[in-house]
Amino acid sequence: MLRTALAGLRAHRLRLLLTALAITLGVGFIAGTFVLNDTVQAGYDQRVTADAAKVDVAVLPKGPDAVLPERLLERIRALDGVTEAQGLIRAPAPVLGKDGKTAGNAPTTALSIVPGPLDRTDIVEGTGPGTDDQAAVLDENTAKAQGFRPGDTITVLDARQREHRFRLVGLLDPGVDQELSYTGAVGFTAATAQRMTGAKGYREIDVAGTAPGLKQAVAAAAGGAYVVKTGGELATDLARAAGVETEMLTLGLLMFGLVAMMVAALVIYNTFNILVAQRTREMALLRCVGATRGQVFGSILLESSVVGVLASALGLLVGYGLASLTLTVLAAVDAPLPTDAAVTLTPVTIAAGLAVGVVVTLGAAVLPARSATRVAPIAALRTQAEEQTFRAGVVRAVLAGLFLLAGLGTAAAGVFVLPPGQQVSLVVVMAGGALTFLAVLILGPVLVRPLSALVGWIPARLFGVPGRLAVGNSGRNPRRAATTTVALTIGVTLMTLISVVTASTRQTMTVKLDEQFPIDYALSSQRLDAVIPRSVATELRGRPELSSVVQLREARVTVAGRRLGVGTYAGPIEPSLTAGSMKGLGPGQAAVDDDLGFGLGTAIQVRTPEAGTVRLKVVALFDSAESPLPQVTVAEGAFDTYFGAIPDTRVLINIRDGVPPARARAVVDAAVAAYPTVRVASSTEIRGQFDETLDMLLMVITGLLGLAILISLLGIANTLSLSVHERTRESALLRALGLTRAQLRRMLSVEALVLGLIGALVGVVLGVAFGWAAIMAMLDGAVFSAPVGQIALFVALSGVAGVLAAVLPARRAARASIVGALATS
Amino acid sequence: MRMNVTLTPAPPAVVARDLSKVYGQGDAQVHALRSVNVSFATGAFSAIMGPSGSGKSTLMHCLAGLDTVTSGTVHIGDVELTGLSDRRLTMLRRERIGFVFQAFNLLPTLTAEQNIRLPLEIAARQADQPLFDRVIETVGLRDRLGHRPSELSGGQQQRVAVARALISKPQVIFADEPTGNLDSRSGAEVLSFLRTSVRELGQTIVMVTHDPVAASYADRVVFLRDGELVTEIAAPTPQTVLDTLVKLEA
Repeated sequence: MLRTALAGLRAHRLRLLLTALAITLGVGFIAGTFVLNDTVQAGYDQRVTADAAKVDVAVLPKGPDAVLPERLLERIRALDGVTEAQGLIRAPAPVLGKDGKTAGNAPTTALSIVPGPLDRTDIVEGTGPGTDDQAAVLDENTAKAQGFRPGDTITVLDARQREHRFRLVGLLDPGVDQELSYTGAVGFTAATAQRMTGAKGYREIDVAGTAPGLKQAVAAAAGGAYVVKTGGELATDLARAAGVETEMLTLGLLMFGLVAMMVAALVIYNTFNILVAQRTREMALLRCVGATRGQVFGSILLESSVVGVLASALGLLVGYGLASLTLTVLAAVDAPLPTDAAVTLTPVTIAAGLAVGVVVTLGAAVLPARSATRVAPIAALRTQAEEQTFRAGVVRAVLAGLFLLAGLGTAAAGVFVLPPGQQVSLVVVMAGGALTFLAVLILGPVLVRPLSALVGWIPARLFGVPGRLAVGNSGRNPRRAATTTVALTIGVTLMTLISVVTASTRQTMTVKLDEQFPIDYALSSQRLDAVIPRSVATELRGRPELSSVVQLREARVTVAGRRLGVGTYAGPIEPSLTAGSMKGLGPGQAAVDDDLGFGLGTAIQVRTPEAGTVRLKVVALFDSAESPLPQVTVAEGAFDTYFGAIPDTRVLINIRDGVPPARARAVVDAAVAAYPTVRVASSTEIRGQFDETLDMLLMVITGLLGLAILISLLGIANTLSLSVHERTRESALLRALGLTRAQLRRMLSVEALVLGLIGALVGVVLGVAFGWAAIMAMLDGAVFSAPVGQIALFVALSGVAGVLAAVLPARRAARASIVGALATS
Repeated sequence: MRMNVTLTPAPPAVVARDLSKVYGQGDAQVHALRSVNVSFATGAFSAIMGPSGSGKSTLMHCLAGLDTVTSGTVHIGDVELTGLSDRRLTMLRRERIGFVFQAFNLLPTLTAEQNIRLPLEIAARQADQPLFDRVIETVGLRDRLGHRPSELSGGQQQRVAVARALISKPQVIFADEPTGNLDSRSGAEVLSFLRTSVRELGQTIVMVTHDPVAASYADRVVFLRDGELVTEIAAPTPQTVLDTLVKLEA
């Protein structure tokens, strides 16, 4: 039987090649993800290990905002066996760009660069500050973005917003530090860093020493209030922290890999099914000459496992190449990931890739193999393989109905019953989607014929006889057509769903921005600190170009045991209240965010710097999604009593109707020109940034789903070429009756077009429906929007892709000689 | 032995001159046809006979423009087939030639009527409705027109195939073992129907067969052996055909 199975493999090389390609692509993607993850992780390890090798013991504070006192450093320095100890400062110090405004979206992080062997900074150009208190280094990305070169003078704000000038002497690479990559970094001598940030202590104390038991000695000196680690432990922890994001990314990518494998499984299932159907006589002959059912079953499985192993092995190579390519691209665009580690296929990757590939292939071939065992020996004697007939059974209808009901019911519960904006609602909706998809899968063969008549309506009229024959052929073997198109449906459903969700998110945000925050400009600092002098708002109120100016000021203090923003506002705001009234809000009263859970009439304790702990009575609750108020809002006068006359945190500005935005913008810019930390954001800019992020996300996801689509196209090509093979004599007959080669090719193209369109149509319906459900479950007050252009594009591309998939099968069909084809039985 | 076939007064529907067909190369060369000269009269029912491997199917394929010839010429009416492009040949088949094959004559997705009208639709021609009605009457399939091939008997399927060949009024119909898969009663039905269409519609039919009874329905039978035309008989009976065959085999 082994020999028979291998001969079968050889005979069906081309068809199995297409199948193998489906597996190769899926395994390649999964293996590539693993390789990428391993390489990046290895890169982190390398860097972190090299860094941490310099440190023998490190002392860290407990908690993200805590620091290590100066005294501790002195105590450690005094310990026996400590050759060197340095404290590291790390705190915000905004660098100003060439426009005189704070650079970037977050304040730059100032670092102390210590002299001697404990220095872990990676200076890539120029030098470090050394002992020069007037020198500074910047990270590469900030320097590039702001156009600074070593030798330039840069301006940095200290903790009290005063400007200081430094000579830029070098550039540093923030390495794998995610925080520094985001904020940017500016390095000073330890003394300057302390002076600029006003830091009250160190974020880390590094110790070098040779004495045995150094960690214990340092731990004893530090006491229980701090964390003490060896250099090795520090490296492990740093690498793990850096790798967490990579792991999330890996998980995300693996999801797409799984979708691809699912599609590949459908393609394989279909191919083996058709191969078995075509080899009915061969199977029957084997049974006639004495093969048992088990042997027939085994030979099919053996065939599939050989295909699975070969394709998966190839997939591993593809994955390796894919990962190398991705790393090259990432390195070229300066992604904040280590890309320099050696790319390796680890045994785990190899095992996982092979296992996934072989298991999926074997699993998909089990059902076809089982149906091969049902072939009766007598079938060998029948001349004509009979067409597979299909009748919609009662069981199928009932099963599909149940799944459909369960799916729609679950999704409806997620949308209408569960509260929107909660993760559980989305999960429930997605579960409903999965159930509905199963219903469609079961119902597929029933749907194919009516759908092919529907989408084939135009092609049948447009392409004459070939068109009509093609539409008839597309619904001829409903089970096969359904499996072929469902593979495509998966990809199109997900793509449509994602594009509906992004479009609806965009629409919802736009509507919310327009209706609830009709603001043209907002003034704020990078960290929403209270830094806007009240005079700015006063000045702006006097300008005729502006119609309204709202001041908001806020302080973060402890309220009933929680850190909350307590603040006030001045200017025309209509808070959207859910309970109570803010009319005549007086001292001792507050309006609070209804999400906080304080009831109307309760008293809350607020610790204030100027008036000690005060009791506030809740007189109103507001909806924070619709009102830009501080979480706990008090009257303006009362706020000053509690917190002093602090500056504004935010100023919201509207342009008077008819004033050109450019003129209004000039007025606003002029008013804040003297305050480098105050940044002007326009709603169109905010929207633009938001749009860019969404577009980027959509592009990446669509690209990743493209793989699933590609695999499903292999499925279409495979099904078509098998159909062409089955209909060799039919094609010859048509040619004899006067169908030209071009018409025969067109007939197959139209058939593929119809298959592609059916898959796309079902996908679009499911995608739009569940996109709607998903967005309703995800966002409170969501506005549905279907990007008709995009969806039409998906449908059109599916059709075109189907036609492309038909090119080779159609060529083969048209090339066949009529006499030869008529002779084959 | 080579013989010249006498021409009937009306111009022949199909003429082959010095027709040769060679398959393969070198030692594997097979001469399927060796300088065959033959013509088939318009409005006549002719049969081509011969033992297995005599080249009768190859001859039909070459005459019908389904296969290319190695040398010699073929004319259908006044058109020379040899040297025509695939496209021109396809057009010629559409307009001038009808086919009835041994099996697999019909498209399983189409009804009997759709199958019958298929050649006209491929050629984008209007059906001649009186002719259609007459053909349907003669074939006796009026009540089966809406059925698909899988719902028809073998004999009915072949009758549909003959109707399809007749409907476009081709210059010649080539029938390749049209009764090969039928029981004798259905076979007789199809053969009488073929003969009726020659008598009443003036159709020209060239039939390849190895069955002496089938050949006896024809007006004239030509015999092939080893790719050569060896003899012919007019007004055949099963007995005369069988005798000639036995002589050939000897």
